[in-house]
Amino acid sequence: MVAVSDTASDIELAAATRATVDKLEPLGGVLKTFKDMVSVTVPKEHIVEAVTVAKESGFAMISDVFGIDYLTYPGHQGKRFTVAYNMRNPDGNGRLFIRVDIDEGESLPTITHLFKAANFMEREVYDMFGVVFDGHPDLRRLLTPEDFDGHPHRKDFPLGETPTLFGEGRFLDPAAFRAGLVGADPGLTGWKGGAAKGAVSEQPYGQGAGMHGKESGKP
Amino acid sequence: MGLRDLFEKDVQELENDGILFSSLEKLVAWGRSNSLWPATFGLACCAIEMMQSTNARNDLSRFGSEVFRASPRQADVMIVAGRLSKKMAPIMRRVYEQMPDPKWVISMGACASSGGMFNNYAIVQNVDSVVPVDIFVPGCPPRPESLVFAVMQLQKKVRGDAFDQHGVELPMVEGWSR
Amino acid sequence: MSVKDLGHAGTVTREERHGEFETRFMRINVGPQHPSTHGVLRLVVDLDGEEIVGIKPQIGYLHTGFEKTMENRTYQQCVTYSNRMDYLHGFAHDLAYVLSVEKLMDARVPDRAQRIRVALNELNRIASHLVFIGTGLLDMGALTPFFYTMREREMLLDIFEMVCGVRMNFGYFRVGGLYRDVPDAFFPAVDTFLETFPKMIVQYERLFAKNDIFVNRLKNVGVLSRETALDWGLTGPSLRASGVPLDFRKAAPYSGYQDYDFDVPTYDAGDALSRMLIRIDEMRESMKIVRQAVDRMEPGPIRDPDRRISLPPRSELENSMEAVIFHFKLVTEGFHPPRGEVYVATESARGELGYYIVSDGGSMPYRVKVRVPSLINLQSLEPACIGGLFADMIVNIASLDPIMGDVDK
Repeated sequence: MVAVSDTASDIELAAATRATVDKLEPLGGVLKTFKDMVSVTVPKEHIVEAVTVAKESGFAMISDVFGIDYLTYPGHQGKRFTVAYNMRNPDGNGRLFIRVDIDEGESLPTITHLFKAANFMEREVYDMFGVVFDGHPDLRRLLTPEDFDGHPHRKDFPLGETPTLFGEGRFLDPAAFRAGLVGADPGLTGWKGGAAKGAVSEQPYGQGAGMHGKESGKP
Repeated sequence: MGLRDLFEKDVQELENDGILFSSLEKLVAWGRSNSLWPATFGLACCAIEMMQSTNARNDLSRFGSEVFRASPRQADVMIVAGRLSKKMAPIMRRVYEQMPDPKWVISMGACASSGGMFNNYAIVQNVDSVVPVDIFVPGCPPRPESLVFAVMQLQKKVRGDAFDQHGVELPMVEGWSR
Repeated sequence: MSVKDLGHAGTVTREERHGEFETRFMRINVGPQHPSTHGVLRLVVDLDGEEIVGIKPQIGYLHTGFEKTMENRTYQQCVTYSNRMDYLHGFAHDLAYVLSVEKLMDARVPDRAQRIRVALNELNRIASHLVFIGTGLLDMGALTPFFYTMREREMLLDIFEMVCGVRMNFGYFRVGGLYRDVPDAFFPAVDTFLETFPKMIVQYERLFAKNDIFVNRLKNVGVLSRETALDWGLTGPSLRASGVPLDFRKAAPYSGYQDYDFDVPTYDAGDALSRMLIRIDEMRESMKIVRQAVDRMEPGPIRDPDRRISLPPRSELENSMEAVIFHFKLVTEGFHPPRGEVYVATESARGELGYYIVSDGGSMPYRVKVRVPSLINLQSLEPACIGGLFADMIVNIASLDPIMGDVDK
């Protein structure tokens, strides 16, 4: 997560959140904030301990465990995957994201002994990203078919669009049609991307809006 | 659909003499078309509209679909209501094969008919590739009135009054072989 | 994968139950297609006679790949996808998604738009609970209440059709506000509904909520204690029926909910009866919110006037070159939120719902993770059913109210 500021000075952390963040620091926790989102990135070895510390210092509910694949994120340095633990404090409503950065092939310890709710959540991360959770009681695919090949939410997994065939033999290729809409390819609309001359452009990086060709792995 | 339409010149005979001549196939087709019992195959949002079509305002049972049979062995028509995922496709095929002949399939909604707004790794792009579809219903979701119209079209197809998209008359469903 | 690979699904071993007798548990597959009206849920149940000793939900039969699809659509286009997940409470998903993007963009949604959003969200919550009651009772064999609740639902669907143009799967919310203003006929329609509906709730209560058969069928069935419910991650009305008064509309108010006066019903028993009755109470509270939202509505704009998010008004296009450029960019490309990650937790009819959006500065989201309530709530089926009868399993599924579109995303 790109931080607007690397310190917590632009938002007031609630006391309980501040206390928990301080306890996570000796485990290698790095604090980042963005608007009112608080996240602490811990190294892989300490993740169970970090979640235990957070649970004991008030963040007794886990909302979600999910993964993010930063393969085609512009300007991303570091490991490819991030697994984030979305934890909530029932008193006072603080929310804390504990993040772990891992590479492909690395596995994480499970937290199902701390929160039974994490069972399906970790299975979904395994299904969609291929992250193995050691010690999980039942690590199988959750949403995709059992004999499915690949992990769909990875950025190098294609969306799987098939061209739409019409009765008279016409066919419409969805990706090309959509690429034409956002200027990555002149396609059906002829627009070559970028802003028109004289327009105010807020984006610091070049021509062509959006990230396309994600499926084919082009940055 | 009344007796009058089915047996035009015989109605007078019926009214005068109290007897009626017809072919057995026509009679069977008439009976079948007016008692199509659907198998519950609601998958997603279209299933909710299918349920709405059985409520008191849009009453599907007045067209013969009195009950939605849970067991495919007792059903005539399978209304595929919703997006069919690739994980579910073999199960749908099995349920279809468990239905006794004659059977029909209505593909309800855009997702069942063509993949709809989802064109990705998980959704079957046309249910026709898994089961033979008789009626396609567009909409996302189709209004209950659309589903009722689809059932009426299926009734016409069963009776032999239907035409396909090229204007060719579709044959009446044969009594014994389908 | 065969069912044998599932291993022992129960929490009790044969030796513990039957000592030295030679017995086997029976493994039954309640397949994806089954009479219960709750969609394509597959359960593998281990039975000891009639008693359930193990239950494992197998899901994914409606997996649609929403999150991956949303990575290939612009931010405004994603609104059409979000309500197809939980199709009974579509506005909750729309609202959660739109709130996340607005937080990312620092958009200021005008008051009128917020009140319309709240009113429609609560009306949709009522519609969702009506289906819950109708289908829940249908699963238990009571056919009549289904027709009663569907009749009320038709009134609500008419209101939605008047406002959004479509009965279900609305595409009405936009990032920054709404698609268009509500028509004038909305207010008398809502008034009519709010007048007639309380009498209908009384009718339902007389029909089944105080009916001995209903109560005895559901009392002490599928009891989830407070600790169990919290441990298994349950949220929403099912959690409130177990004694935890957590409602994100009160705990983390969004879209103006802090200004409305409503209670959060909580029951202590944690059984299926409480989970059913709490939703009737919630419908009453939703009506209060709708009344207040509609009464406080002032005339005004319904979209954030910021040109980077909303299209400029048509009249400006004749005079201003900037307006034309903004219009062009917004229509062809869509807007570009700044880089960052946001999450907003909202309360849907099923529990905590939130969209975690990762933005890389492009016109399409980089990653959308939907924290769906039904997927997490479905795990609670295990502690609720184990130890109970097989026939009570259907009741437990019905009372936890999973929506398979929500579960499988």
